[in-house]
Amino acid sequence: MTNHYIDFQWSDVILIMGSNPASNHPISFKWITKAMEKGSKLVCVDPRFTQSAAKAHLYAPLRSGTDIAFLGGMIKYIMDNKLFFKEYVKNYTNASFLVNPAFKLPGENRGVFSGLTGNKYDKATWSYQTDAAGVIKKDPTLQNPNCVFQLLKKHYSRYNMDVVSRITGTPKEKLLEVYKTYSSTTGPSRAGNILYAMGWTQHTVGVQNIRTMSIIQLLLGNVGIPGAGVQALRGESNVQGSTDHALLFHILPGYLGTPRSSLNTLKEYNEKRTPKTKEPKSLNWWKNFPKYSASFLRSMYGKNITLDGAYNLLPKLEEGTDYSWLTLFDHMYKGQFTGFLAWGMNPAASGASSNKVRQALGKVDWMVNVNLFDNETGSFWRGPGMDPAKIKTEVFMLPCASSVEKEGSISNSGRWMQWRYKAVNPPGQALPDGDIMSEIFFKVRDLYRKEGGPNAGAITRLTWNYGKFSADGKYHLDVHAIAKDINGYFLEDKELVDPATKQKKIFKKGTLVPSFALLQDDGSTSSGNWLYCASYTEKGNMAARRGKKDPTGLGLYPEWSWSWPLNRRIIYNGASVDPSGKPWNPRRAPIKWDDVEKKWKGDVPDGVGNPGSGRPPFIMKPDGVAHLFGPGLADGPFPEHYEPLECPVEKNLMSPQKSNPTIKHFEEKGVGTELDTIASCDPRYPFVCSTYRVSEHWQTGVLTRWLPWLAEMQPGMFVEISDELAKERGFKNGETVTVRSSRGELEAVAIVTPRFKPFNIDGNTIHQVGIPWHFGWVTTATRKYSPNDKKPEIFTFGDSANLLTPFAGDPNTMIPESKAFMVNVVKKGVK
Amino acid sequence: MSENIKLFDTSRCTGCRGCQLACKQWNNLPAKQTVNWGSYQNPPTLQSNTYLIMRFQEKADANSVKWFFRHEACMHCTDAACVKACPTGALYYSEFKTVGKNIEKCIGCKDCVAACPFEVPKYDSGANKVLKCDMCESRIANKLEPACVKACPTGALKWGEKETMLKIANERVKELGGDAHVYGPQYVGGTHLAYILQEKDAVYAGLKIDPKVPLSVIAWKDWLKPLSLIAGGGVVVGSLLHYILHGPKRPDADVGQDNPAEGGK
Amino acid sequence: MPEKGMIKVTDGFERIVHWMLAGSCILLFITGLGMMYRELNFIGNLMGGLVALKYVHNFTGLLFIVSLVLAARMWWHEAGKFSMPEDLEWMMCAGGYLWHVEKVPEIGKYNPGQKMFFLTVIGCGALMGVTGLVMWFPVGLSLGFVRWMYPLHALGFVVFFAFFFVHLYLGTIGNPGTVMAMIDGWATKAWAKKQHPKWLKEMEESGKLEVYGEETKEAASH
Repeated sequence: MTNHYIDFQWSDVILIMGSNPASNHPISFKWITKAMEKGSKLVCVDPRFTQSAAKAHLYAPLRSGTDIAFLGGMIKYIMDNKLFFKEYVKNYTNASFLVNPAFKLPGENRGVFSGLTGNKYDKATWSYQTDAAGVIKKDPTLQNPNCVFQLLKKHYSRYNMDVVSRITGTPKEKLLEVYKTYSSTTGPSRAGNILYAMGWTQHTVGVQNIRTMSIIQLLLGNVGIPGAGVQALRGESNVQGSTDHALLFHILPGYLGTPRSSLNTLKEYNEKRTPKTKEPKSLNWWKNFPKYSASFLRSMYGKNITLDGAYNLLPKLEEGTDYSWLTLFDHMYKGQFTGFLAWGMNPAASGASSNKVRQALGKVDWMVNVNLFDNETGSFWRGPGMDPAKIKTEVFMLPCASSVEKEGSISNSGRWMQWRYKAVNPPGQALPDGDIMSEIFFKVRDLYRKEGGPNAGAITRLTWNYGKFSADGKYHLDVHAIAKDINGYFLEDKELVDPATKQKKIFKKGTLVPSFALLQDDGSTSSGNWLYCASYTEKGNMAARRGKKDPTGLGLYPEWSWSWPLNRRIIYNGASVDPSGKPWNPRRAPIKWDDVEKKWKGDVPDGVGNPGSGRPPFIMKPDGVAHLFGPGLADGPFPEHYEPLECPVEKNLMSPQKSNPTIKHFEEKGVGTELDTIASCDPRYPFVCSTYRVSEHWQTGVLTRWLPWLAEMQPGMFVEISDELAKERGFKNGETVTVRSSRGELEAVAIVTPRFKPFNIDGNTIHQVGIPWHFGWVTTATRKYSPNDKKPEIFTFGDSANLLTPFAGDPNTMIPESKAFMVNVVKKGVK
Repeated sequence: MSENIKLFDTSRCTGCRGCQLACKQWNNLPAKQTVNWGSYQNPPTLQSNTYLIMRFQEKADANSVKWFFRHEACMHCTDAACVKACPTGALYYSEFKTVGKNIEKCIGCKDCVAACPFEVPKYDSGANKVLKCDMCESRIANKLEPACVKACPTGALKWGEKETMLKIANERVKELGGDAHVYGPQYVGGTHLAYILQEKDAVYAGLKIDPKVPLSVIAWKDWLKPLSLIAGGGVVVGSLLHYILHGPKRPDADVGQDNPAEGGK
Repeated sequence: MPEKGMIKVTDGFERIVHWMLAGSCILLFITGLGMMYRELNFIGNLMGGLVALKYVHNFTGLLFIVSLVLAARMWWHEAGKFSMPEDLEWMMCAGGYLWHVEKVPEIGKYNPGQKMFFLTVIGCGALMGVTGLVMWFPVGLSLGFVRWMYPLHALGFVVFFAFFFVHLYLGTIGNPGTVMAMIDGWATKAWAKKQHPKWLKEMEESGKLEVYGEETKEAASH
């Protein structure tokens, strides 16, 4: 999130698209409701009439997987009606940048951008024109046909209302109403907000879905101000934290790109990862990359090794490979793994195409399942269709503590790092994850010390001074030690300018670094995650603060917990003032210049220089401005509508290119496996299906299905189908039906509802159905329970929705496309 | 003690069921096996183990669909049929004017189950008790809002002084316009759970239209109960008078035990 | 103890059924009242609590229903049907209970007052039984129906309660000599002559009259 939950109250229009916060982020509706009480308009766009839609002033349906078409139409509407916030667009985006004349848009290049070979783009033409000094050429009048603004206009001129309606199935008058309502937030005094979640990310065009909206937000001047921005409602309470701390393969903590094996030295790595710019006034914050990488290496391997030595120890990614979820399980299925740690995860239910995942789990020699309860993963070998006698995998269950049984922090969607205390001791043999991890670490380290191995030093030299061994030989991790290590220390006495006082000061060895502005590239500081530097300082644990002061009156609550970066509550807030430093909207200004004290007051200022300095405020971009034209992504600098890999239409009405040209096709020979089937436009699977969540359950339900009160409220798998489809197929409300894709099938109770309506897609009636994904066979009444098995107090019905989902993902993130795929729904058991 | 009521605003409710769960938690109510019956609403009705349910209801016409979420629990009538019907005082008017329950006193007679115009009290055959919401008396007695109100994220549930709540309700109704209206204060002496409804009463499934203390309860408790004493007492007095004024019917003196043959003359 | 010359007016079975009915009825009154008036809730204490009292009431109700069925079967022939014209005549003069009547019409074993009492007991008893059972087991019945069981049960009680005292009075001090008919079954001939002259005559004529200390005529003729 650029902003935070409390900030929703300042929105004039809120667009809920790709999410259902009423159901899945109930607390967020406290602030949405507040906004509505102040007169804001709530717009909901969703294939299904959701709880959020029920509260919205305006609801528009769309077919799953057509969001870019829908939003592209909005960009065209904004352009055609000149509703963009010109001053903002001109000064704070790359609208005026002149693009390489050789660059081609999909409209003039058979649906793809210039440079495509195979499924990869050569991005040579996705570049800017520069002058002799290397400075990007610009046209502040935004008239040059090669300027970003004109290219954007040209690109989306193809997204006319008629074609958009035929693709999305949204009636034209609804499109117009949404466009009109949302674009009313243009200009200095109004704020429009977008709340999205997995409804946007879980697509083969997931990243581009969000990009499209970001473009709209920039055009309307909706970034950096209260009540605006782009809000990712996270699917799990600490997904923000786990991403910040690099749960994903392609980044190290703090979004430092993981080194590839081709980058032999730290210098090469820094060189490659540190962006350069010739723009004279741009701050280019990432120029500090070497400070963050050096501090990270110090946190990993300590001071008794050179930075280069530490870099050498750091594991690298093989060139050209990815280690994403889909790829990992594909490799596992192909027998390329020996063992597997399933830690706080339930891939047998959460993994796309779960049948493949369940088969894959049988191909490893051992698996360690760290969880609170038994789950579909730990017991995969005795699941439906499995023959335990034929499965070699040895499974170890390590019970772990729940979030209330250990101390630590979580980082919420609004980037707040919030400290939590332990309420009760974990039951039985359960341990906090950190203790389990430590125990494994020390055992593995001993083995490496004894037996050696490839790059053994990566493990043997790792710093692990986060706790103590007790008398019984158990290691007890001190989460405060970890939190401090994440923040970082001065490793030697250092005289530096204190950013707080602007005075020189000696920072003592062993003290905590007060701000990432003081991190050094010479190895004199450590920081496990530069973004979190300033979260735990000599002043104490910032995340544990519970101050309720609100000096701006904007609900920023700067003394409540701590928000990265540097306790900034609204990122890009430097864009909330005009180039002369005056707030666009003085009534809702997150920062204001204090002429007497000569400093910004309010939120922690982001990127902005002193008034009149001319510094562009989007300092995380090398050129200092936000990117309407975004050449960094795998699938194009502008979002283009492509159909989901599995879709009900023969043709993409937008171009001859049907699906995203850059995705990996596991279904193709020699790529994936025989289980990776795709059935697009296949009469056997005529209905569009999407997965979603209910308020009562969490993720795969491992935590919630065992809770009787929650299971009682939502006791099992259902499929929501329209009245029309039910009539056509003769389904009665409440009857059990079979939902089937080319990859699997499951039983579900039919909820026949007017909240789904058939779509008119280019003259054809297309039905869409929807299923929740929280269920699994482990807590059902019909499975076999061994004498030692815990039985749930309240049984749930049905297995995982992911038995049906396709093994295909976004080319940038590899997030699987579980929000748009094709199924059939038949009477129970009918083939 | 000021009189508080719970106000439920349908327009603010998102159907998250935080209230339903909080109720179970505070009252430590067990779960019972359910099945999906084609609705999100579960358990389908109030039960002895479920004092509060969220009702989910759809209303569709050709062009639009609406989805209603309604909080259903004890209405806490000022003139409560259940209290009237309860033979033991297990149900009573609390000092907060809500309808409290004293489980110890409940004899499981189910009189209240039949009496309640809102069909709220539910009989638990296992415990042989009738159970229902007591507006979290243990909380409100300690100046806390009921658990359901505490859990509500959107302010759809509020707890406060009656006049204030009704003022808020009336203002909200004005804001909402259309068929919006307040439901509750005009019935059974005023309920302590009031609704702000956006639609007409008849639209809501399960909502009682013009609820009253049932005539059967009035006939039973207000008429027949006193009548039984009057009738019984009347007879006793009448008999006494009869004995004194008319005298008993004694066998005739001339009929001696010795002359059976003469009998019948 | 009966004296010589007294006549047998009831047999043992009749008296057992009568007292089953009477006993259950009284117990139902007491327990019912204990539930009807909170002021009388203390009655429950005597039975180990109100829950126990409720069970006593409910199970006594079952006994009552059984007694009622036995009574109906047993007395239906003699007390369930009116015999004209004498019953009508008896009613016209209210059996001599309310004003002075020179000659009360001669009636059989049960006078119309008793017959009406019997029919009321059967009718109201059935009502109490049915409504009581519904209240006990309201499963699967519409609430609107169940709801009315309560005032009907109360209505039955009003009638029963009043009739109870009528019966108590008339069976004891109101009609001296009557009570023994339900205690040992013997009554004086004078009593019978006064209360049920026609029956006495029929019995004597048929020779079925059992007189204490004598053999019946029928038996003697053997």
